[in-house]
Amino acid sequence: MKSAHRGIFFALLLCLTNSSGAVDLVVNGNVPIETLSRSTVRSVFSMRMTSWPDGVPIQVFVMGDKTRLHASFSKEILGVFPHQLRRAWNRQIFAGTGQAPAKVDTEQEMLDKVATTPGAIGYTSEELINEQIRKIAVE
Amino acid sequence: MSKYGKLPLNRASTYYLILLASLLGTQQSALASKLPENHFQIHGFLTQAYVKTTDNRFFGDSQDGSFDFREIGANASYRFNPKLMASAQLLSRVAGDMYNGSLTVDYAQLDYTFHMSERARYGALLGRTKNPLGFYNDTRDVAATRPGIFMPQAIYWDRVRNMVLSNDGVQFYADNSNGLHRFSLQLLAGKTPIDENVEKSYLDPSLNASMDQDGVTTGGRLLYEWDGGRLRLALSNAMLKLDSRTTILPPGTIDIDYWVLSAQYNHGPWRLTAEYMEEPIDYQGFANLLDSADTTVDGYYLQGDYRLHSDWELLLRYEQSHYDKDDRYGSKISTISGLPPFNFYSKLWTAGLLWEPTEQLMLRAEFSQVEGVIFLSNLENPVPSERVKDWNLFSLLISYSF
Repeated sequence: MKSAHRGIFFALLLCLTNSSGAVDLVVNGNVPIETLSRSTVRSVFSMRMTSWPDGVPIQVFVMGDKTRLHASFSKEILGVFPHQLRRAWNRQIFAGTGQAPAKVDTEQEMLDKVATTPGAIGYTSEELINEQIRKIAVE
Repeated sequence: MSKYGKLPLNRASTYYLILLASLLGTQQSALASKLPENHFQIHGFLTQAYVKTTDNRFFGDSQDGSFDFREIGANASYRFNPKLMASAQLLSRVAGDMYNGSLTVDYAQLDYTFHMSERARYGALLGRTKNPLGFYNDTRDVAATRPGIFMPQAIYWDRVRNMVLSNDGVQFYADNSNGLHRFSLQLLAGKTPIDENVEKSYLDPSLNASMDQDGVTTGGRLLYEWDGGRLRLALSNAMLKLDSRTTILPPGTIDIDYWVLSAQYNHGPWRLTAEYMEEPIDYQGFANLLDSADTTVDGYYLQGDYRLHSDWELLLRYEQSHYDKDDRYGSKISTISGLPPFNFYSKLWTAGLLWEPTEQLMLRAEFSQVEGVIFLSNLENPVPSERVKDWNLFSLLISYSF
């Protein structure tokens, strides 16, 4: 009984350490890439690169500027603050040279959208990955 | 004759809109299955400012407190496929006596990407496109992208805004990324809409000048970004020639060459920006009566921004403008023209606070201490003896964008 408790405690601890601050890029299962360079990730999330090498349109999903997950994604993966990223989008949206990414409200919605939208890219703090959704390493 | 203010929806603009609408109609069904789900987007903004000055008029009757600074815009964009996008924006801008809020086509363009890969992107814009001058010109009327309530006047003069705002023509772009380095080149050629503000700035208002563009405007911008924009450097230019007729002088032409050098460094919560502008103006014809008016206008600003917290930002800016870079404080031209020297330069200190409580909403408050009046509009301050050398400017702004 005691060891079962201990097992649950360690399992919980593992979950907590895995999800604390860690954020990974995820793509739809059909996207034909395994890794992306940081500069390509920046081109994709700043909405300048609009298709994958096979020609499929890229569909970018992000969460709100004030969510913790978006903040850690911006800082850790892109190296900018959320407000800087938003200004970069606005500079294109209001000059007519680019479009805004699609916004999702929750992390679950992010996972659902990335799993079901061809060409989709987003991010998650979760480990749960299946054949419809894949993690991508940033080099 | 004002092409922008009085005939905002001229034949060319109407043509673009019809072209866009028909393309939307024919393409929508054919490609719908392969398109991203938000391939059609509508965005807009609504900005209202309050301007109070101790002396001089800036954006309306500012000595009494003016609300005559209002910007409303809406745009639509449609991505047919990853390589082709159409977009158009309508703008209504009230800016004191300079702009009366009439509806204009801010841009209406087709964007075609010839080549796109992870490292490079080449393409062209066709139609009315925004002129990429300096860091901010192409979205200067959008509060959410501006570096303050007002654009730094040393570079982005409101009194001659239309001269460098947009072009009816073509713009080529080339983007190249290599590791931490990114180069972006834009080149443009087209017709520039000239308006009364330009006419009253480059020739004395009493001459009742009317101007038409001779040939096309050419220009562009080379931008270098390091490490995702941590360091940004740019060189921009726009060149144009104005044919001018006046009620008094024989006709002539004015050659304008607008250069901007820009640098920005972003580090953590800090952003440091500096831009320098030089604009040689060459008067030809006019029976040689204006040859002595040839000058090189210049100006610069330095701005520091500090993000206090995720929603709050402080700014401090110093800017300086000179009518003649070789006569910085106007002493020579003052003796020739008979006007006090402070008509030919400006020095501004601005301190400001920005609050962005949500992604859509922005509020700003700014205070400026000003010496000189060169950036003030002749339309708003027509009587030289009423202009005051030392004055203060206080402003508030609220803006919603979506």
